[in-house]
Amino acid sequence: MIMVFGKRIRLFRPRTIWIRRLVQWFFFLLIALIAVNHTLAESGSAIPVLSSASLHAVCPFGGVETLYTLVASGLLVKKVHASALVLAGLSILLAIFFGPVFCGWICPLGTVQEWVGKLGRKLFRRRYNHFVPTKLDNILRYARYGILIWVLYVTATSGTLIFEAYDPYFALFNFWSSEVAPTALLILGVTLVLSIFVERPWCKYACPYGAVLGLTNLFRVFSIKRAVSTCKADGACSIMCPMNIPVDNKTIVRDHQCISCLECTSEAICPVAKTVVFTTGVVK
Amino acid sequence: MTLTSKPLAFILFIVMFGGIAVSSALGWWQTESTKVPAAYTEGEFAGQANPADIRGSYTFGDISNSFDVGPEVLAQAFQITSDDPASFPVKDLETLYLDSGYEIGTNSVRLFVAFYAGLPFDTTGQEIYLPKPAADILLEHATLTPEQVTYLQTFAVDAAPAQGEESAPETESAPPAPEAPVSSTEEYAVKGKTTFGELAGWGVPQEVVEQIIGAPMPDAAMTAKDYATANGLDFETLKTQLQAEVDKVKK
Repeated sequence: MIMVFGKRIRLFRPRTIWIRRLVQWFFFLLIALIAVNHTLAESGSAIPVLSSASLHAVCPFGGVETLYTLVASGLLVKKVHASALVLAGLSILLAIFFGPVFCGWICPLGTVQEWVGKLGRKLFRRRYNHFVPTKLDNILRYARYGILIWVLYVTATSGTLIFEAYDPYFALFNFWSSEVAPTALLILGVTLVLSIFVERPWCKYACPYGAVLGLTNLFRVFSIKRAVSTCKADGACSIMCPMNIPVDNKTIVRDHQCISCLECTSEAICPVAKTVVFTTGVVK
Repeated sequence: MTLTSKPLAFILFIVMFGGIAVSSALGWWQTESTKVPAAYTEGEFAGQANPADIRGSYTFGDISNSFDVGPEVLAQAFQITSDDPASFPVKDLETLYLDSGYEIGTNSVRLFVAFYAGLPFDTTGQEIYLPKPAADILLEHATLTPEQVTYLQTFAVDAAPAQGEESAPETESAPPAPEAPVSSTEEYAVKGKTTFGELAGWGVPQEVVEQIIGAPMPDAAMTAKDYATANGLDFETLKTQLQAEVDKVKK
């Protein structure tokens, strides 16, 4: 940004939110190292300064899965630890203020899908992320709520982490261990292959934790808002949205699938300053 | 108020790591099992450790720290021969009993501990197997309800752990002689040491037993002989009457 005759002119405009990429890398490496260290700890050779917690201890969805058992009996579901409840609480707190930032900024499975998606974007260019017919896509996007209800039901009735056998996140960071069920590996494989065609397919159609956090989009404090008065209606924001939300049709994004990645904002793809913003206030 | 990506990233780190730091300070941040089972939250046993929360990662020693069940008792019950039974991890049972044909593992330990310590444990709809020595210890030492005795008799199985570094069947020298087949008559014979719980387990209705003895059903662990002696009854007469009822249901 430079000043020319008293006006601020942006010489270089980033096309993406680079700091988000940095944060995603950080959390991916952190979780990967913890998962590897957990395996090393079992053979007595853990790296001392690093946590050797199990993946279940650092997965906030465990905190949601165990809620019923906790309320009903005061116990945690097997393999879930108190730290999962803390993480669930923190990510829900963040979501109430900023939307599902956990999905867009932290979740390593989302990050990996984005990385694979880059290949798809190169291969298919504008067709990428637009393969699923709109009608079918609109229906499929509610499937994750069905999966959430199923997971909560089977966990409550069995008292065990049934979802572990289907969880691609667990498979991603434990594929070397005998603990991973073949079904989880299969679902991870399918997710990664689909990521070449669709951005974040697991997040869009199947993630039960995304379903929980996505509900906060309906009432969150900070929202993505579009200033109609300055909008050029070039559709850049909608094209860039990984979740295919038609931002250019909205003045405020309340879509249950928004992951608060900020890629649609004027800080990234929108070419007009202060037009698509992340704010609590009113924009016109 | 408008936010851009950098402050958002900063807030995200502060909330996540600050939250973890605060929860650590409050003692909430636990990434490992504390080896102390959660307590009952309500009822007569509120505040006492709940056997249902025993985890596979616990050792027999961890269990004895929370319940009045010694590691030696657990080792005897589950046929573990080890110099240090306190360090035996519960999760290893499943592997040791893998070839027995029965699922004997953490759930079996939970059941054993609950019954041994006289704590409530819901077995509804569950088929939890125990090796015979465990059931025998419970029948001998624990105060059991008739339902619990029936449950034990249904799910006590002849199963021995695989011989490994830490476990072996109790006989250490010669392999055990094959057991002679037991005829159903012998199997369901009323003897002096037959308990009322066993009678219930064989299917003799409680009201029939009560009619024979002319009193409410005694404790399940009480033997027929002890009952007869304590109540001035002729044991042989009682035995014949009870045997007749057993034969009726076992025909």
